[in-house]
Amino acid sequence: MPLPASNDFYSRQILFPGIGEEGQRKLRDARVAIAGCGATGSAIASLLARAGVGFLRIIDRDYVELSNLQRQTLFDETDAAEFLPKAVAAARRLSLCNSNVTIEAQVADLTPDNVDPLLGDCSLIMDGTDNFETRYLINDYAISKNVPWIYTAAIGSVGVTMNILPGETACVACMFPDSPRGSIETCETAGILNAAVTAIGAHAAAEALKFFTGAKHLMRRTLLTEDVWWVDHAELPAEAPRPDCRCCMRRQFPHLAGENHPHITLCGRNSVQIHEQRRTIDLAQLEQRLQAHGAVRNNGFALRFWRDPYELTLFSDGRAIIKGTTDVGIARSFYARFVGA
Amino acid sequence: MQIQVRLYATFRAGRFNEQMRDYPPGSTIKDVLADLAIDEALVGTLFVEFKYATSDQQLHEGVRLGIFPVVGGG
Repeated sequence: MPLPASNDFYSRQILFPGIGEEGQRKLRDARVAIAGCGATGSAIASLLARAGVGFLRIIDRDYVELSNLQRQTLFDETDAAEFLPKAVAAARRLSLCNSNVTIEAQVADLTPDNVDPLLGDCSLIMDGTDNFETRYLINDYAISKNVPWIYTAAIGSVGVTMNILPGETACVACMFPDSPRGSIETCETAGILNAAVTAIGAHAAAEALKFFTGAKHLMRRTLLTEDVWWVDHAELPAEAPRPDCRCCMRRQFPHLAGENHPHITLCGRNSVQIHEQRRTIDLAQLEQRLQAHGAVRNNGFALRFWRDPYELTLFSDGRAIIKGTTDVGIARSFYARFVGA
Repeated sequence: MQIQVRLYATFRAGRFNEQMRDYPPGSTIKDVLADLAIDEALVGTLFVEFKYATSDQQLHEGVRLGIFPVVGGG
């Protein structure tokens, strides 16, 4: 089927011999899930939406904050002031960038329980997460279901990415067999350059375009790292799986089975996420109830409640992020007191 | 014995990119990590001659050792 005349939008991309009209049509029919929409997720989502990937599902559990704006390029100060969920803010922005594509926002924490409905109908998964717990879950899911995915991470001035093509390359559990045991650096502790995010996100997005446009054979079979500050580019072979890999060789999927899946996580910024309480919250009703106990605001997607020294952001599925403590007990008790046990 | 050590990503900060270093015969990768003050818990993957390796693996004269960290931010 020919592309509509309105697709002057893609005219410069179609001129590129690697894409052409046929490649552009394939992109239009493509379905991608982006798991996490922070810095790398924003970069990847923006590039894929503008390139004309026909369906993008943006999955993110968090809300926009001022400290995100230096590198999370889909958001602005208004989004932060309104503490909009990142998935919602990203979908709004991307729809303005390209109305030809469908953007679906999913305000959710990717867990073993919802991974299949959220990822199952997409033919490529892009990693925009900021933690290994979720990456191992995606890896288990992707290998078990034979779905390709692209790992992408960034810290400081360094970005790292790798294509995981089940049956053709190593997987993330081959490269990183053990869950990080120490306190690994995060953007909150080591800082992050926006240029590092953009550079590595661009590499990942280009690989996604190859995947959909019939150039899978050109996809990188390496673990790539790039440092934009010290100008270092290196690649390690990632074609062969680790012979004893528990995931792609022994076909063990503990993260998918939910083993060791925490119900409470520390978010690395003086906050605790509580996702053990599965319940549907009537945000408007709770807003009224909480007004007697502190300042409260409801943006329709989430409710924010301030009571010194804590700040609670509650989503309608019962998940909450409590800021002002890293003590799980305090966070739990705050939640129980004001939302319910 | 001489070992060609290549550090990747964040492990380069305050150390080096690539260096030929001298270790006693029979040294393992753990010895190299200790020498470079790299916490093994932060190591993502190890390569000897571009093949997967484990930290208790003994090294031999002239081999190339790659040390790659866990990179988790995003």
